[in-house]
Amino acid sequence: MSAIPLSPGAAPEEQLANLWTDAWHRLKRNKLALFGLTIVAILALTAIFGPFLTPYDYLTQDLQARNAVPSLEHLFGTDDLGRDVFSRVVFGTRTAFLVAVIVTVIAVIIGTVLGAVAGFFGNTTDRIIMWLTDTTMSVPNLLLVVVINASLKQPIASWMEARYLATFNPFYRQTIWVDFFLVFGSMALISWPPYARLVRAQVLSIRSRPYITAAQALGLSNWVIMTRYVVPNALGPLIVSVSAGLGTAMVLESAFSFLGVGVNPPTPSWGNMISDGLRVWQHYPHLLAAPAAVLGLASVAFSFLGDGLNDALNPRGSK
Amino acid sequence: MMHTTNFKQKLLDVRGLTVEIDGRNGPAVVVDGIDLHVNKGETLGVVGESGCGKSLTMLSLMRLLPNKIKVTKGSASFDGHDLHKMSNRELRKVRGGDIGFVFQDPMTSLNPVMRIGDQICEPLIYHRGLKKAEARSRAVELLRLVGIPAPEERLQAYPHELSGGMRQRVMIAIGLACNPKLLIADEPTTALDVTIQAQIVDLVKDLRVRLGMSVVWITHDLALIAGLVDRVLVLYAGTVVEDAPVDALYARPSHPYTRGLLASIPKLSDAPASRLSSIGGTPPEPGRRPKGCPFAPRCSLSEAMCHERVPKLEFIRGAVDHRTACFVVDKAQGAA
Repeated sequence: MSAIPLSPGAAPEEQLANLWTDAWHRLKRNKLALFGLTIVAILALTAIFGPFLTPYDYLTQDLQARNAVPSLEHLFGTDDLGRDVFSRVVFGTRTAFLVAVIVTVIAVIIGTVLGAVAGFFGNTTDRIIMWLTDTTMSVPNLLLVVVINASLKQPIASWMEARYLATFNPFYRQTIWVDFFLVFGSMALISWPPYARLVRAQVLSIRSRPYITAAQALGLSNWVIMTRYVVPNALGPLIVSVSAGLGTAMVLESAFSFLGVGVNPPTPSWGNMISDGLRVWQHYPHLLAAPAAVLGLASVAFSFLGDGLNDALNPRGSK
Repeated sequence: MMHTTNFKQKLLDVRGLTVEIDGRNGPAVVVDGIDLHVNKGETLGVVGESGCGKSLTMLSLMRLLPNKIKVTKGSASFDGHDLHKMSNRELRKVRGGDIGFVFQDPMTSLNPVMRIGDQICEPLIYHRGLKKAEARSRAVELLRLVGIPAPEERLQAYPHELSGGMRQRVMIAIGLACNPKLLIADEPTTALDVTIQAQIVDLVKDLRVRLGMSVVWITHDLALIAGLVDRVLVLYAGTVVEDAPVDALYARPSHPYTRGLLASIPKLSDAPASRLSSIGGTPPEPGRRPKGCPFAPRCSLSEAMCHERVPKLEFIRGAVDHRTACFVVDKAQGAA
């Protein structure tokens, strides 16, 4: 047998292609999904590279040109402190993506692990985890985030202040990370239950498939069966749900920032920009329009992409 | 022949195996005190219609029964070890290692998102501790053994890229991967068309001689296994009704149920427009078994006693290896 080269190095890409090319072809035929994918790609690139390319810093104030209307100099105009709105929207994209991606990743990890364990082991394990899921879902999102922020932000801030005074380590001055930490944490805490339910349902249906019995008859351990047989087969619907979830997380972040429990000024977030713009929209509508339009576009793009992925991945599942 | 050398050594010995389902109306017996054994190098055919407990019996040996189905009585020893007393860890070594399984439906019994090469390698890595590269070359050997052309390329294929017959060969390759002492094939040809069925039967026939393993072949198709098995066990409603060497079973079927099964195989000599023969009625549902012989309500030979007492599996007159569970057959045998 040793005479035959198996070329294992060349295989993986090729094989992944085999499995996913069908889905990709179906996605390509779907105009709306392609539109969504394009917008998402542009926004993602903006989030990564945008802040390096904008003509102004998001904090630079030009008090000579406050509330300026859009012009070539300031594409989206300036706000009441003379800050360039375009630069702020671009930086807000980074905030939105950072929050959305990290929150979704945390939520998906928690949800997948809990859902897979619940579905695979069943019985009491399942009941406890589902009880936890339902309980979490039954708490109003906004309320939970407000409670977390209100109860934790102040103690953490004063602890950091005390640490700074004691050590003069500049790290403790970075309160922006406290914001992010609290926003990520509290949002992830409310976002995982749908993933847990989805994965559990998937696992329940996959667990009764003959190839799972076959894997057990091969003497494979529960861990191997779960990670190599159950989870990969549950992935299709999860990908769809994640893409829609990213959009939801973005909107959620904006909603919290809008209400003042999310990312705090001066860090730009679409949500707090909308909130600022709303106060003066009758006089300076561009301050509201720019971040709102971008948020709307992002949200629509993610839904289209999620929809398209759903159509593209489902036929494989039914095979 | 290879398998006659230690013919009388029992590899698998199951006694009084009883399996029950927890239903809404309390537990229902689906496998009722089955005794069966497989000698080393022997091929045993297990025959019976759907729902008679064939698959459950085999799954129960490996503790692979679904949630609400449990073994309540009986013992099962494999190669001198009690399967029911093994820890899960020990049992996992037996599963796929010493006992290979081939499942009924090749379309759904392979993991759809895993390359078949990886699926064949998995037991080798797990049970034999092979390195990935060693496992791969063994997988190529196995695919060649089961008659898959261009095995190196096929390793990279996903199950949906193969035909049903090919997938069943892959399943057999997986079952054989670790050179099991016993291969349990649970209706491995049901989902395949007739020519492929014959190929698979020939394949297994060839392999068990070459590899010197025992085989349990579960089927509802008596005609299919005629040339394959050494001995046949006929199950009805969770009990063994007849146990005979294959030649004796076909030449002198004893139990009325076996006769019915054999009679219902269409023959070329049948008149063109004649009705196919069948056994009237349906098997009893679990939990609604008749009081006496479970086959009595459908049996044309049944007598009063058949409805009262359950017949034991006993040697028929003048035979040393042919047992049947019937009160009336000796008489009927004489008449026939």
